[in-house]
Amino acid sequence: MDVLQAADDLRRRSLVNYPRPLDRLIYLASMRDYNTGIYHHDGLASRYSPEVACEAMADCHKEAFRQLVSNSLEELVGQLEAYMASTHTSPTDFIAAWKGLEPYRVAVPVESDPLAAQFLFSTFKVALAILESRLHPSPAAAPAA
Amino acid sequence: MIQLILFLSLGAALLLSLGFFMRPRRAEGGSTALVHARQALSTLQGGLLPADMVARVFDRADLDYVESQGSPELQRLFLDERKRVALLWVSRVREQLVSLREFHAGSARFYAQLNPLTELSLLFDFSRLLLACRMLQVFVFLRGPYAAPRIVGATAATAAKVCNVSQESLAFLTPAYAAAGGKHAAQTARF
Repeated sequence: MDVLQAADDLRRRSLVNYPRPLDRLIYLASMRDYNTGIYHHDGLASRYSPEVACEAMADCHKEAFRQLVSNSLEELVGQLEAYMASTHTSPTDFIAAWKGLEPYRVAVPVESDPLAAQFLFSTFKVALAILESRLHPSPAAAPAA
Repeated sequence: MIQLILFLSLGAALLLSLGFFMRPRRAEGGSTALVHARQALSTLQGGLLPADMVARVFDRADLDYVESQGSPELQRLFLDERKRVALLWVSRVREQLVSLREFHAGSARFYAQLNPLTELSLLFDFSRLLLACRMLQVFVFLRGPYAAPRIVGATAATAAKVCNVSQESLAFLTPAYAAAGGKHAAQTARF
């Protein structure tokens, strides 16, 4: 019950600032310790307990992952484009970094289904290629109206 | 004389078949088989067979979107990627089904009393499913992820049906079932 309340609290106070599943996924992954897999959120932990806060964040992370997997390729491209704009990085640098480092691979929840994770990674790869092709459009590859 | 040999052969074959079907099932390795079966069932029901997941992997709308970008390179990349994921889906479904079939062929009867008709039906479904998976692998490999949407749908539906039967066979492992005093409670204790 506490975990459900904490998750609801998290959605209302923190995640409301991240309307897109991609942003929520990245935000929640950033709150997780890479060495232990434990999520940290001081505010939530003080209102509930560190354990409850961790579990609530893990649940919200899984939820964001499921939402992102269920989004179409077109939606993912849109979200990636919006996320890229929100970082204020040059699109060329952003795409080069994401293609090279593949940060999305460490952004998924620990217990994700391997197929769903592979599917998402594959969709990211195509989405990045689409964004890249828009930066350097070839004469033969003008998008259809 | 020939008739006698034929009758004796037939009798021996019948006895052997009877012995095969009535043989006591071994309990050795039963816990491992149960764990594998439970994992396979969970993977199938939770990750591989949900309709939205299957629909996403084989979603034509994504292809339409990529085609609208007007780039042959993008289209090729997308089809290669989706083909890889589709093949991964089929191989994982097949792998989990093999694990479930082993459970049913081995220790399921020891733990869960399925009637012979259900067992025969399951045997038929498993054979059909594994064949369908092989066919899908060939189709997807040769013609891409959108080659056989009907086989994908039929495979997912039959696999879901088989999972339901397996779930009933494994129901005695769930705490709720044990608390309700399920008919296999004694067998659970034995396990």
